[in-house]
Amino acid sequence: MQRVEVDNSQFLKGVLDLAVLAVLGEKDSYGYDVVRRLRERGLDSVGDASVYGTLRRLYQAGALNSYVVPSDEGPHRKYYGLNDRGRKTLDQSAKAWASLSGALNQLLNGRSHENGH
Amino acid sequence: MATDPRANDVAAYATAVRTALGDLPADEKTALLEDLEEHLSEIAAESEGPLNQRLGAPEQYAAELRTAYGAAHPRAAKRRVGLQDLRAASVWVSRSSWYREFRAFLPSLRPAWWVLRAYLAVLVLASWFSRGTDLRPIPNPFSSRGLLQVIATVVAIVVSVRLGQTGLSRDRGVRILARGLNGAIALFAFFTLASMGTYPSSMVGDAVSQQLTGAPGVYANGPVTNIYAYSKNGTPLTDVLLYDQDGRPLTVDGSATGLSTSYPNGADGQPITNAYPMIQRKPDGTPVVAPRVAIPPWPSPTASPTVSPTAMP
Repeated sequence: MQRVEVDNSQFLKGVLDLAVLAVLGEKDSYGYDVVRRLRERGLDSVGDASVYGTLRRLYQAGALNSYVVPSDEGPHRKYYGLNDRGRKTLDQSAKAWASLSGALNQLLNGRSHENGH
Repeated sequence: MATDPRANDVAAYATAVRTALGDLPADEKTALLEDLEEHLSEIAAESEGPLNQRLGAPEQYAAELRTAYGAAHPRAAKRRVGLQDLRAASVWVSRSSWYREFRAFLPSLRPAWWVLRAYLAVLVLASWFSRGTDLRPIPNPFSSRGLLQVIATVVAIVVSVRLGQTGLSRDRGVRILARGLNGAIALFAFFTLASMGTYPSSMVGDAVSQQLTGAPGVYANGPVTNIYAYSKNGTPLTDVLLYDQDGRPLTVDGSATGLSTSYPNGADGQPITNAYPMIQRKPDGTPVVAPRVAIPPWPSPTASPTVSPTAMP
């Protein structure tokens, strides 16, 4: 880890839980669908194993429910969805993220203003 | 499925990932990799080429998985929270004023328990020694065993209260033994009391009257305590001997209502118990008198409205 520059994947690691919860908050999804939807939203550096590991961890922590949907073509899909605990976690994390990103934006804006003058 | 190259690819990849995570505890491995095959199958189904190309080496995938899953330890965290909640709840309860009042109130119940446990201990012993007979909650002092039970209860109460007042020795073994004995008495007494309450009072009464008279009681909208016989024209009859359909003397029992009966003695010296009406006295000593009865009017043979056919000319 000699790298000094911070890339997207470094940021993403910290907020992957929140991103996965937010995706599932929109609608229930299976593992690969979560990865795809995250990438569609611009989080293209997200790794499949990271999403799968996060899903399993959130499930084990009791934030998600899961059910298997049989499919005619291809394998059966294990869908994950938010339960009450998951929704609560999402709300709290979203608030925490909003205040953190707000503070960070202010800090960065101040820097850009300083630079601008 | 087994012939599908995709399925083979998934199986091989999953095996490699599992091997790379072989050092994880078994339950954690199950929790993390429970549906790895399903997940990999989805990816395989929705992308071209082998999984290696799509996801990178299995070892790399396993490492990423480990990081993502191990970022926080949900199971350990969960357990800690549960214990903390329990501890907090117990602290809250033990600090509450109502709990302290409750604890302060308990010692005042001690003498009551000393008396109760003595009674319960005798009850348990009584149920042990008088199996098969009806156990009564309060011993009847007029039966031989009942008198024994009363004496035993009094002795047990004295001993139990004495024990309670003097307290036990500091020896830990003795204390544990005493606690066990107290618990055992309470437990056995519970079962004894529960089995005692299973007879409805009417059943007990029936059983008693059967034992006394050797025949079931006679009922007519209530227990029959005496029988009055009248001739056709309403003359009261005395010393009428009654028998049932099997030729057994028919007896009724008035003792349940507190009546005392004096039976006439036969020539053989045996009391005649089925001669009616019986001579009875109420509990206050006054004799039982015959009730007022309405004798139904019998058709008189001379005033018979019916005419027999043979009388016709």
